[in-house]
Amino acid sequence: MKKCDHIKDLILTDYMDGELDQDLKHNVESHLLDCSDCRTFLKEVKENSIIPFNKDTQLPVPPQLWDAVKEGIAKQGHASDPIADFIDRIKEMIVFPKLVPVFATLMLMLFVGSVTLNNMQFQQAQATEQGEYLVSLLSITNPAQVENNDLGTPIEHFFL
Amino acid sequence: MEDLSKDVLVRASQGDMQAFEVVYKASNSFVYNVAFRVVNNREDAMEVAQEVFMVIHDKLKTFRYESSFKTWIYRITANHAINFAKKNARTKTVPFEESFGEGAVESDVHTKMEQEHNSNLVESLLAELNPDQRACVVLRDIQGLSYEDIAQALNININTVRSRLKRSREKLLSVRQKVNYEKV
Repeated sequence: MKKCDHIKDLILTDYMDGELDQDLKHNVESHLLDCSDCRTFLKEVKENSIIPFNKDTQLPVPPQLWDAVKEGIAKQGHASDPIADFIDRIKEMIVFPKLVPVFATLMLMLFVGSVTLNNMQFQQAQATEQGEYLVSLLSITNPAQVENNDLGTPIEHFFL
Repeated sequence: MEDLSKDVLVRASQGDMQAFEVVYKASNSFVYNVAFRVVNNREDAMEVAQEVFMVIHDKLKTFRYESSFKTWIYRITANHAINFAKKNARTKTVPFEESFGEGAVESDVHTKMEQEHNSNLVESLLAELNPDQRACVVLRDIQGLSYEDIAQALNININTVRSRLKRSREKLLSVRQKVNYEKV
């Protein structure tokens, strides 16, 4: 039954339209020899969904279509905008339109890169400054120096 | 659809109306008939076909010869016809069940009558499908395009072509089976 479902799918598409490779086509055909249900399905699909379209005759093109096209083109010519034409010509001269997204991506990457670099430099400068400050604090071991830095507040005297 | 030389296309793109007439003659039957079957009536098909040729004339100068000219025409025609059918979703055709159900006229033995009968049948069957499905069926079963060409013309992948054809054929089968069942 599952095989029949698969075969029916192929009948509705690739088998009917000649899009199957030889091996698969052979598999479908051997199944059809053994399965009357799938044979009936094939016949119904052909008769109801394919043959009417295959038999359809092409309509002759109305002669007035060419006149209508020429008239439309003439009107289009009168109404054409010289600025738009110029822009079209410029666009044609740009041979690499597909490079625009690549260029945009590159610019974005450059922007993100420069922001990150700036940030890193700033952080590095800050770290250096903080380090220097800590070193300066630690290096204050001489009481005389402490005295020199003394602002004379009572709390300072308490701790020092 | 006939193949065209690059020379003709270049001349047509430069505004040579004689060359453009060659382009028109090579493709008018395809454009008009696809438009007719997708929009499903003659007056609208004229309008769509005129629009398609005006677009071809206008855009020919931007055609880069990287893809096939035929595929380019298939794409413009299919897109315009589908968009027109979607915008004007009115269906002027008589639904299948009314035309070919009980009481419908049996096909005549005369060839012309048979052709007309078949043409009406096709019109009614296509009216059962949505414009996207209709375009797939028209390009495959009437114009005989391969799945690959249909995929390129409609700018969809091959599996979408497959699934649209499958759904369309299942739908048509069920409509006709329903009518046959009601007749019995």
